[in-house]
Parts: sequence; C-alpha cells; structure tokens
Amino acid sequence: MTSCSSTEVRRCRPLLGTFVEMTAEGHDAESMNRAIESAFVAMERVEKLMSFFRPDSDVARLNRQAFREQVMVNADTFLVLEHGLALSRASNGAFDFTVASPLLVQMVQRENAPLPNLPGDWRDVELLPGNRVSFRRPLHLDLGGIAKGFAVDVAVDCLRATGVESGMVNAGGDLRAFGPRKYLVDIRHPAFPQAMAHRVELQGCALATSSPCFTETERNGQRVSHLVNPLDRSSLLGHRSVSVQAPECWLADGLAKVVFNAPLLAETLLEEFGAHAFVLSA
Amino acid sequence: MSGRIHYLAVPAIVVGAFHGYAAVYHTVESAQKACFPEAATFVSADVKLSSQEMKAIEKASGVRVRLENQKIWKVEKNGQALGWFIVDEVLGKHEFITWALALKSDGSVQSLEIMEYRETYGYEVRNADWRAQFVGKKNGARLKLDDDIKNVSGATLSCRHITDGVKRLLALYDLVLKH
Repeated sequence: MTSCSSTEVRRCRPLLGTFVEMTAEGHDAESMNRAIESAFVAMERVEKLMSFFRPDSDVARLNRQAFREQVMVNADTFLVLEHGLALSRASNGAFDFTVASPLLVQMVQRENAPLPNLPGDWRDVELLPGNRVSFRRPLHLDLGGIAKGFAVDVAVDCLRATGVESGMVNAGGDLRAFGPRKYLVDIRHPAFPQAMAHRVELQGCALATSSPCFTETERNGQRVSHLVNPLDRSSLLGHRSVSVQAPECWLADGLAKVVFNAPLLAETLLEEFGAHAFVLSA
Repeated sequence: MSGRIHYLAVPAIVVGAFHGYAAVYHTVESAQKACFPEAATFVSADVKLSSQEMKAIEKASGVRVRLENQKIWKVEKNGQALGWFIVDEVLGKHEFITWALALKSDGSVQSLEIMEYRETYGYEVRNADWRAQFVGKKNGARLKLDDDIKNVSGATLSCRHITDGVKRLLALYDLVLKH
C-alpha cells in the first residue's frame, strides 16, 4: 500500500549542547508529534547519563570515583562503553574516549590550570558484571566522541518503535536517516561553516562529521581544539573535516575519529563496518 | 582495499553571498499546543519592559536584554492558571532563532520549542589572488548553491545562546510576571 496521505512533522530542540532536529513521516501529524516527543525524552535521558559537564552524570561519577572503587552505571552507559572499547581495540587506540581534550577538562575545572595529562588510556577501563566499571589508572572519560551518535540511534529506535515510517534525526550534524525515504545531506565547508561543500544522499544510514576548526583556540600558549589524537595526545588542528557514513550513528561518530588519527588503518575498519568516509580539506 | 575514504579538496577561499537556510518548525498556535496540549485558553499578556526592568533582568541573569517587547501569554484552563507561554528570539553566531518557552505556574520550566531557525549567509572572504581569476567575468565571483537544503552535517552549532535566553526569561518571570 502506498502512503499517499503521508505527512511530515519536523521539530527542533536544544539538546546535547547543540540543536537536535527530528523529521518524522507517517500517516497523521498527531502520532508523529507524539513519537517525536518520546524520542526527545529518550535523548534527554542519554544526555543526563553521559554528559561530561553534569556533575551527576554517569561519566562525571566515573571520573570522580572509578579509579578508587567500582562504579555502577546505567545499562545504556555500559553499552556505549562496550561499543567504544571495541572500537579502541579494533583501531589500536586511534579511537580512545579516555583522553579528553584539555579544552573540555578546563571547561569543567573553570580555571587556567596547567593542562592535565593523566596517564590512563582505554586499556585501563575495566567492564565488570552488573554494569560496574573501574579504572586501573586515573583518566578523563569523555563520551563526547560517540555519545551524541548513540543518542541519535536511541532516538531513531524510539521513532521506529512508535510507528514512524521514515525519518531523520540530526544532532548538530551527527545524523541518521531511517525508512525507505532518501534524504539529501549537505556537509559544511570545513573552514567556512556557512558554505556547503559536499552533498550526499542517505537512505537508512548515519552520517557524522568531525572537524577541529570551530573549536580551535589558544590555551596557555598552545593551540588546542575539542578533538585529540589519543596516540600522541596532541590536539587536532586545521581546516579539514571527516564525515563517516555508517549503518549506525555511534559508529559513524567513532569511526570519524579513527579516520583522523589513523587513516590507513581506517580503510580496513570502514570496510569491516560497511562504512565510507569523506575527508574535506581546504 | 582502497576506496573507502574519499578525499575531496574544497575551495580554500569562498566568496560571495550564498543562500539563507530557514526551517519553520512551529507557528505560535502549534507551539502553544505542543507545550500545553491540555490548555483551553491563551490570554495575551505582552510586556513592554522599561529601561529599569531591562537593566534589572540583565543584572539578575547576566545576559543582555535586546528587546523591550516580549510576547507573552497567560495559559489557563477552566479559569485555573497553568503557566506562561513566551515567544522569544535569539541571535547566534550565524543563526537567528525564534523559540518558545513554557513555564509552569510556579515559574519553573515546563518545556521549550524551537519555532523557527534561520542561518544567514552573507559571507565574503577577500583574497586578491583568488579574486583576480574572476576579473572580467560576469557573475564569476559568486558561488551559487542550492537553496533547498534540508539537512546539514558539519561544524556543530552551540545552543548556548538558548541557554542564556532561558536564564534571561526566568529573570523576566521573577521580576515582571510573578505575583
């Protein structure tokens, strides 16, 4: 049966530090609105659990306590940790969510303290039965590299479960399309955000873009951005962006970092995960 | 094994005004309905702030007050106050946003909806060498891009100015609407 009376509802809210837009296509506007409402609630939950900044988030609790004792986290947080560690293992640490950008750490500490350099890395994260986590060495866990993508996946699951046929969830550029409809997506120019540099067509898959150049700034005489190369702990800099197209958004989000930090290895990983990357450089 | 990563060189210099991108998510009525599905009436209660009030709000919120006129509705059902519905505008770095804040009758935030989102494009980067190639050409220095853009990936836009807007409107509630 063709849905000739299909309607589209689009909504937008500030969430996850950016603007989250949801598009839902289905038979009636009322149920699309309800579906979107529940998907926003689900995303808010992810934000509360995985925010680096909220003192009561799972991430903040882990950073405070997991080096000293086992910390129990929500099942979703645990799942994101499993996803991330799998990606760290597969990429030999080119993706590593335990090396938070000094920019983030300073925003939390709210002072110009010397750049922290904690020795721990992804191999120090121990996942234990009962959603418990412990760190073998002190580290700054930052799920920013995949949690936004994960939140998009959660919202997509929610929309599908509530009967939306086709749709799109876009969290500030980390996005995922689902259903039969094709969506055109424009990738911003890595140096001039108001210009669109490349267009891709998405059907039933995700696209996430990472670029250091809009957060690049100077701290204590050093150029830093929100993106870090975990292999040498330097900030990623420069007018380039990496967009990864993958089946799920957490994966697109995480793989984008691998393409930045280890492009040769990334070829193999992209193949393995059924993904593609677009590297834009000015 | 190659071919999974596509390397694309994009112009290092971008000249000209391109397009505006606008997305309308809500009319006032649909935003009201989304925020207060159960409400029966929205009674207009627009506020014109005096300069003292504007200063007081700035002081209490730490956020600049740009507009003296604020569109506000008192929300009621069967004569019972449900809260307030406020339409506001904020300017970001490149974007202009109309949004609505719904407050419960005790002044706490009930919900928030983006009503309209616009990005303005009027970008020009001056670079003599690059521009030289267009000398003598008509319309050459203008990169025209498609207007019909629906989905954008790339630099994440911060929503901090909305957060500031919430602080400002909560201060407005405290100083002007409460009591």
